[in-house]
Amino acid sequence: MIISVVSGKGGAGKTTLAASIAQVFEAEFYDLDVDAPNAEYFLKPDFSSKVQITQPVPVFSEELCDGCGICTKECRFHALYRILKTVYLSEPLCHGCGLCKMVCPQQAISYQNSSVGDIRSGYSQRTKNMVHVGDLMIGSTRGTYLISEMVKKIDPVKLSVIDGPPGNSCAAVAAIKPADLVILVVEPTPFGFHDMQQTEQIVQQMGKRYLIVANKAMSDASVKEYFANKPKQAALTISLDDRYHKANLQGEILSQQFAEIHRGLHQIISPELIKS
Amino acid sequence: MTRQISILSGKGGAGKTSVTASIIKMMDSVVAVDADVNASNLPILLPYTQQSTTAYFGMDIAQVDHDQCTGCGACLTACQFDAISQNEEGRILIDSDCEGCAACAFVCPENAINMVKRKGGDWYVSSMDNGYLIHADLIPGEDNSGKLITKIRSEASAIAKEKDIAYIVIDGPPGTSCQAISSITGVDLVLAVVEESLSGLSDYRRLAELIQKFSIPHFVLLNKAGFSPEVENKIILSADEFGGKVIGRIPFDHNIPQALQSLKSLADMDKYKDTIAELLKQIT
Repeated sequence: MIISVVSGKGGAGKTTLAASIAQVFEAEFYDLDVDAPNAEYFLKPDFSSKVQITQPVPVFSEELCDGCGICTKECRFHALYRILKTVYLSEPLCHGCGLCKMVCPQQAISYQNSSVGDIRSGYSQRTKNMVHVGDLMIGSTRGTYLISEMVKKIDPVKLSVIDGPPGNSCAAVAAIKPADLVILVVEPTPFGFHDMQQTEQIVQQMGKRYLIVANKAMSDASVKEYFANKPKQAALTISLDDRYHKANLQGEILSQQFAEIHRGLHQIISPELIKS
Repeated sequence: MTRQISILSGKGGAGKTSVTASIIKMMDSVVAVDADVNASNLPILLPYTQQSTTAYFGMDIAQVDHDQCTGCGACLTACQFDAISQNEEGRILIDSDCEGCAACAFVCPENAINMVKRKGGDWYVSSMDNGYLIHADLIPGEDNSGKLITKIRSEASAIAKEKDIAYIVIDGPPGTSCQAISSITGVDLVLAVVEESLSGLSDYRRLAELIQKFSIPHFVLLNKAGFSPEVENKIILSADEFGGKVIGRIPFDHNIPQALQSLKSLADMDKYKDTIAELLKQIT
């Protein structure tokens, strides 16, 4: 069973909640916010392995390439360019699709694996389980690819928690796709609500089971107001509390420090675990 | 010459949009760009009148002409993204994982695959009392390509030039991937809004590394500060390390999210008006 924690807006509390859920249920953890991974500050895993994730990229044979430039015209990602008679690759733009190799009349192109980032793994005493963190190479366009490669490693039989990326783009979709249950974290603010509704639309379109958690709520009344016209209500509301903020700053897992959060998450998620 | 200022953070929720809107509200004349195209929030805080809507098309994607297709399956092997499948009746199906590389179209012996346009969203030009706002709505789940950001930024430059507006202020996306790069290239200054937290620090360091690669000067605004002098100090030291300069500090204050509930920015709060005015002076 896979639980994905997403939000739309950044800073809503995805990582905070994902870490807490993993702690409550002692679940395996996947940090898929690959271009700003932060879960390790809370889970404090003892990293024991680092696996490089690669994708194939073209390499040009100097002997065979006559600089015709067909590949540079055919590449739809504008990853290839030619100066005089030499073709160059702008690697961060390459999707590894193989088209350049197919179109090359000289058979001058071969493919070689190149790094897009790493997966670091280690055991966390706090969640009593493994933690896997995706580190995308800074500036890379291949975030979604790295996410998909990490998702392939998840054992669906075990209970796993995914900390997803912010936003509502294909990277978020890739983190929602494997989920049996989605936890939508919403900050009840005009920004937070706006972005969460877009994420909710994606989750609904994908036919996923989901729960909404309102985080950093100024008051119960304000949350009620936001959800007034919504068929789906927040299953749990966590208030904007300086104690939580402080614990967060110190790298603490909220569910470990505050019984009400432990209990709240347990109450809303346990029935879902039984269902699947 | 128009000066371009990009406001970024690395971490989401650090306060980019609140700060950007506050700065924009205090400027005499500005072209504002919301480059966080898949969670666009800047327009929520700025009063504007929409003037035009333009459809945005992302990558062309593959489409099968079933009259031509013989179901040979050559495309299945060519696709590196597992985006093509064949159902029990032999019909070739292309799913939403298609990245638009056109390898399938190239290998198809029947020329039965065409690359077709797909709408990715809309972008808008609006007028404000003190200038223009350009923002976009990406269709949820679309590839958040830098292409759209590049498009709206070039539109902003054109407007600034035509109307003789001295500043373009860009509200950037979170993260340090290609979208962040699209919001950094060619700007004159980056203002990094850094949340006083371990995550804020870590994401700022990734961002600063990226900014440094482009040799763009950057300033740092500390946000939600006051709980951890230790983290704050680490942020200041990190700024030094990456050639940034801390030019302002906004405390963690419940009044700020409270004001945001009624769509008020820092520029509308007596307590922070001067802070924003000072910030504006430093970056312009």
